Amino acid sequence: MTERRAEVVWGRLAEHAAAAGRRVSVADVCAVAVQSAQLTGAWVTAARDGGPDFVLCVTDPVSERLAELQLMLGEGPCYDVLASVAPVLAADLDNEEASRRWPGFTSQARQLGAAAIFAFPLTIGAIRAGVLGMFRSSPGPLPTGWLGDGLVLADAATVLLLDGLHDGADGADGTGEPVLNGQSPDLVLHRAEIDQATGMLTVQLDIPAGAAFARLRAYAYAHDRRLADVARDIVARRLRLHKEPERDGAP
Amino acid sequence: MDAELLSDTFVDLADTMVADFDVIDFLHMLTDRSVRLLSVSAAGVMLADPRGELRVAAASSEAAGLVELFQLQNDQGPCLDCYRTGHPITAPDLAGASQRWPRFAAAAIQAGFGTVHALPMRLRDQVIGALNLFGTGTVLLEPADLRIGQALADVATIGLLQERNVRRVATLAEQLQAALNSRVAIEQAKGKLAERLNVDMDQAFTLLRDYARSSNQRLTDVARQFVAGTTADFPPPPPG
Repeated sequence: MTERRAEVVWGRLAEHAAAAGRRVSVADVCAVAVQSAQLTGAWVTAARDGGPDFVLCVTDPVSERLAELQLMLGEGPCYDVLASVAPVLAADLDNEEASRRWPGFTSQARQLGAAAIFAFPLTIGAIRAGVLGMFRSSPGPLPTGWLGDGLVLADAATVLLLDGLHDGADGADGTGEPVLNGQSPDLVLHRAEIDQATGMLTVQLDIPAGAAFARLRAYAYAHDRRLADVARDIVARRLRLHKEPERDGAP
Repeated sequence: MDAELLSDTFVDLADTMVADFDVIDFLHMLTDRSVRLLSVSAAGVMLADPRGELRVAAASSEAAGLVELFQLQNDQGPCLDCYRTGHPITAPDLAGASQRWPRFAAAAIQAGFGTVHALPMRLRDQVIGALNLFGTGTVLLEPADLRIGQALADVATIGLLQERNVRRVATLAEQLQAALNSRVAIEQAKGKLAERLNVDMDQAFTLLRDYARSSNQRLTDVARQFVAGTTADFPPPPPG
């Protein structure tokens, strides 16, 4: 029922990366977002302790300045998005609401040439990995029906961000291989077991939830298994992971 | 049907729809009451994700086989048909439904169910999800019970829309997205608690929910904080 939309989006990401001759990365998410929603620029800011921390990638200099401006001011859509875990869709920075919400940010953003700003949280439940920010130099909402695509792009960015942050730290193979391509079908359909297994791993491995999720994916990739199947085994206590990956296996 | 239980149910649900209530907690209560009121074996609320996927928002039991039955319906099944058509879908005898929904019928029968109903959650012209009811045996719900079932589905829709917290959520899509995000955090918290205390997922959910209520916090907030490791007094230390 739903695989088509996510597969189409991931197909675009893979195409974009292939054309640039490299692995899929958050840079592709930003580029595809700009192209598919007819925007001017996009950026990804990584989070730490639930708040925006550093800019990971940008499509252009204005996006970079918009992203950095928010970090400098401690104010802006990126902060709201992480606090509420909900998208911010400010279609017109000229209106009163924008100035009220972000008094410092709004006027400077407009001076930089931004007329509309959209931000999506990069989160999986309680895991707050960062923010996908986008802007357009003319006002107006996102294209009708694009929200679903935007959420799929945000999912992809979240996974890429987490894999990148925990690259090799606890992973089974530590080479930071392009896990996204191999695992994308697994992310199309949500599974409660994946979330439960993530929670269980925070205890089994004594690591934060973001790292636990990355470790779960790394295990599935290294053993060439579907993420949902690995998660099911962990929840059913047929499989247990350890700080030392060589000890992973039946409990 | 127990008239007192019926009125208690609607009073309780209405009482819950006050400012700052937790939509997942609310939907869970609704599935629980649905089971009791309608004398079915299991109930679940499925919501349409803005990405286009049907996802479990709440279920009367955390039994893995049941959750899988809901999750299967992304591909085929009464909930999917209900979501697409906006009409109630019923199967009085799952054994005879294997042409209609081969994988779903087989899984449901294996789980011990004989009948299924899916009642649409509608907002004006839009179907946002379905209330899914499973029964053992092969007797469908009576018309009067079906009307109550649909009323419960409508209450679920109202509850979903009623939830307002600090964010300026404008659209229905954002509201659905928020509810489903909450669910994910709760699942993560269940896993962490189940592992920490060596209990099953049902017990973990109950512990989280009871702590949220007794400490007057939203279930979702407790779940997020617990997963992030910032709850000071939860879980409580074992007695003795």
